[in-house]
Amino acid sequence: MRSGRWSSYAWYWQRISGILLVVFTIGHYMTVHWTEAAGHSFASSVERLQNPLFQFWYLGFVVLGFYHGVQGLYNILRDFKLPRWLLAGIVGLVGAAALYFVYLGFDTVLSVHTWKHLP
Amino acid sequence: MAYEQRQSPVITWWDNLRRYRWHLGSVAWILHRITGLALLGYLFVHIWTLRALVEGEAAFQAKMEPFTTPFFKFAEWLLFAFVLFHALNGIRIVLVDFSAQGAYRHKFLLRLVYGLGVAMMLFMAVLIFFDPFAV
Repeated sequence: MRSGRWSSYAWYWQRISGILLVVFTIGHYMTVHWTEAAGHSFASSVERLQNPLFQFWYLGFVVLGFYHGVQGLYNILRDFKLPRWLLAGIVGLVGAAALYFVYLGFDTVLSVHTWKHLP
Repeated sequence: MAYEQRQSPVITWWDNLRRYRWHLGSVAWILHRITGLALLGYLFVHIWTLRALVEGEAAFQAKMEPFTTPFFKFAEWLLFAFVLFHALNGIRIVLVDFSAQGAYRHKFLLRLVYGLGVAMMLFMAVLIFFDPFAV
């Protein structure tokens, strides 16, 4: 695939993922941050994260968030005429960290039944 | 106006800053990038903090405790400002790019971004500092 074609897809998906992230963020603030207790208490977090709908919702948006973020970082860096190795290095490093944190997020949410809250 | 040939092909970041046209629109462009980078950083922190859930209630509460102090409440308000600006300005970008009317009304949309942003910031200040809906 030519790089010109690729960046127009990236441009498109940056907007689509952005819209989805806005939808998520509104839902997130409404459910988790309407009151202080809702977001900061262990019990309410456990209750939410045991709900399959919330699991799907959150993990989808962890993926989308990191995709949008790393793609955005790449878009910014491309405006500075960095040496190729430096650009690849920064994006590669942050991208790898993002992949690890996606894994971490999945592991946290999907291991909810093994958390130490259960009697 | 004649184009001035630069001596060095390398454009430094302070060169860029000097050349920016400091209008509300270009400020929005820069803010969108700054807030975007900050939010990417915050996403890492957020997942790292929630990781404490696995350790059980005591560990989670210990990790969450600092966030109830006035300093962190202010920081969360600032975080909301970042999220809010990035979201509103992002919607504006999508409207300008994807809708036929958006490009014609981009100035109105920009005013909406700043106006709505300030209004929602004030509303969030009430939620954070006074917690009126607490049960």
